[in-house]
Amino acid sequence: MHLAGPVTRVVSLAPSLTEIIFAAGGGHMVAGVTTADDYPPAVNTLPTFSALPVDYENIVALEPDIVFASDQINSARDAQSFAALGIPVYFFSISGINNMLDAIDRMASLLSTETSVSDSLRHSLDSLSQLVHQFSHRPTTLMLVSDETLYSFGQGSYIHDLVARAGGTSVTAQLARRAPVLSDEYVLIKKPQVIIGAFGEDYEASDLMMKHPTWDVVPAVATSKVHSIDAGMFYRPGPRLVQGTWQLARLLHPHLTP
Amino acid sequence: MTRTIAVAAALCALLLLSVGVAVSVGQDLGAGAVRSVLQHHLLFGMGDAPDTTADRIVWLLRMPRALLALLVGGGLAIVGAAMQTLVRNPLAEPYILGVSGGATAGASLFYLGFLPPLVSKSLSMPVAAFLGGLAAITVVYLVAGSARRVSVARLLLAGVAVAALMSSLTSFITLSSPEPDKLRAVLFWLLGSLHYATWDTLAIPAGACTIGFVALMALRRPMDAMLLGEEAAQSLGVSVETTKQLLIVLSAVVTGTLVAVSGAIGFVGLIIPHAVRSVVGVGHQRLLPVCFAAGALFLLWADLAARFLLPSEQLPVGIITALCGVPFFLVLLRRSGYAFG
Repeated sequence: MHLAGPVTRVVSLAPSLTEIIFAAGGGHMVAGVTTADDYPPAVNTLPTFSALPVDYENIVALEPDIVFASDQINSARDAQSFAALGIPVYFFSISGINNMLDAIDRMASLLSTETSVSDSLRHSLDSLSQLVHQFSHRPTTLMLVSDETLYSFGQGSYIHDLVARAGGTSVTAQLARRAPVLSDEYVLIKKPQVIIGAFGEDYEASDLMMKHPTWDVVPAVATSKVHSIDAGMFYRPGPRLVQGTWQLARLLHPHLTP
Repeated sequence: MTRTIAVAAALCALLLLSVGVAVSVGQDLGAGAVRSVLQHHLLFGMGDAPDTTADRIVWLLRMPRALLALLVGGGLAIVGAAMQTLVRNPLAEPYILGVSGGATAGASLFYLGFLPPLVSKSLSMPVAAFLGGLAAITVVYLVAGSARRVSVARLLLAGVAVAALMSSLTSFITLSSPEPDKLRAVLFWLLGSLHYATWDTLAIPAGACTIGFVALMALRRPMDAMLLGEEAAQSLGVSVETTKQLLIVLSAVVTGTLVAVSGAIGFVGLIIPHAVRSVVGVGHQRLLPVCFAAGALFLLWADLAARFLLPSEQLPVGIITALCGVPFFLVLLRRSGYAFG
């Protein structure tokens, strides 16, 4: 990729990439963010534009030197449109936590920034893996997106890697489709010991029972191991995945020391 | 007479067999688990107490779902047959008077939190859907009817127009919803799913289907006469306007209730009456009971197919009814010298 000069203004088309720019030390260069962005708090004061569908007019008005896109959200057609507008686009493909850490390094080199947190994040993951290594118990875990319609994660999702790093076993790892909608029956058969999802604040096992009355015999529900988490730390492939993995480990192993 | 009894017995046996298959298909529960659960519940606690997980799955999830499939399929099929008779148009189906559009808009409004809190507190999603359906069909009826008679052409046009209006309203509501989780739930409901079946929710659709079936059977002779045209029916001594009004009310009650519990499951009410007519003829005496059985079986097997295709997941049955039903229907149309009415 050839850029006309040093990059001073950037625009990201995905909330995960915005977080990666900030982690790579380029937060001051962000000229605008999508309407879905909510982290870090600094984005709240920036101009916003719609990313789905891409609001080209507003993005051109922000005069970015480069636009960052995610191949999970944006299509090649978006790239053509930006090419026609004379704005270079850089596509990131992030499929897991290692990949995400590499993306922070790549972002730092693209933006020629000095400070990057990727090393400390890697270090944090290493110390977690040493702690988790002590536990022989690996609770079976069901990760959900929502409680009513049971959107979950199948083969190829990085969520299973997160659960494994946190010392658990994801029960949906073998499902063939990437974004399955589970049947109530499947959960009854798999008998997960812990159920975790982005269910909102103050969520309890009894709330899940209201939506799925037959689950009283599911171990996670019977022993009140139903936890709600912040979607941004788990389901957005950004730097906070590391923080999320730690939180997950504490939920799965309440005795975890630090 | 003996032939009628034989056919009825065969259909009943087929229904029982299909329910048996429906409660056995899905996640593997281990040998004998399904039988043990059924024995326990149907033979008043005989045999060993079944495994609790198997019991939950077979008796609390699969069984009510199978029964709801029978009710929704059967109910939509008889209402479809009645609507085709009412408007004397082969394209008619239970949703032609805007019920499903209205129900969908009502459910979306409720679900995505666009109703004032005071209203939404006293409602549930099925009730909101039912009221939406009722509102739509009332508008259609008021547009189509005058003091003395209901115009069929105006009924059809008003139905199409109101359905289009409601569908754009639904699109607007879903697109402007700020809550992605609820949006997913609504999308599932829009496609038609039997996933929400429980024993408690079966009573109301069962009641609506019974009322619908009994009332339509009572109207079988006026409906036969209406196939000849309104004037001919009038000259045969049928009070055409009363019949039309009764059919509209029945359609609103039955379709509204069924859509409220399962979403707008398509094509059952359109293709089953045609398929059945090509076998038993146009007389409502035979058409209605066979329609009910055929619609019930069709939806049950469509739901089985949905569960078989993705055993661990949910696939809205509305997708399957269109996918399997329409090619079958096209073949039927092509092969038989079928003529409507």
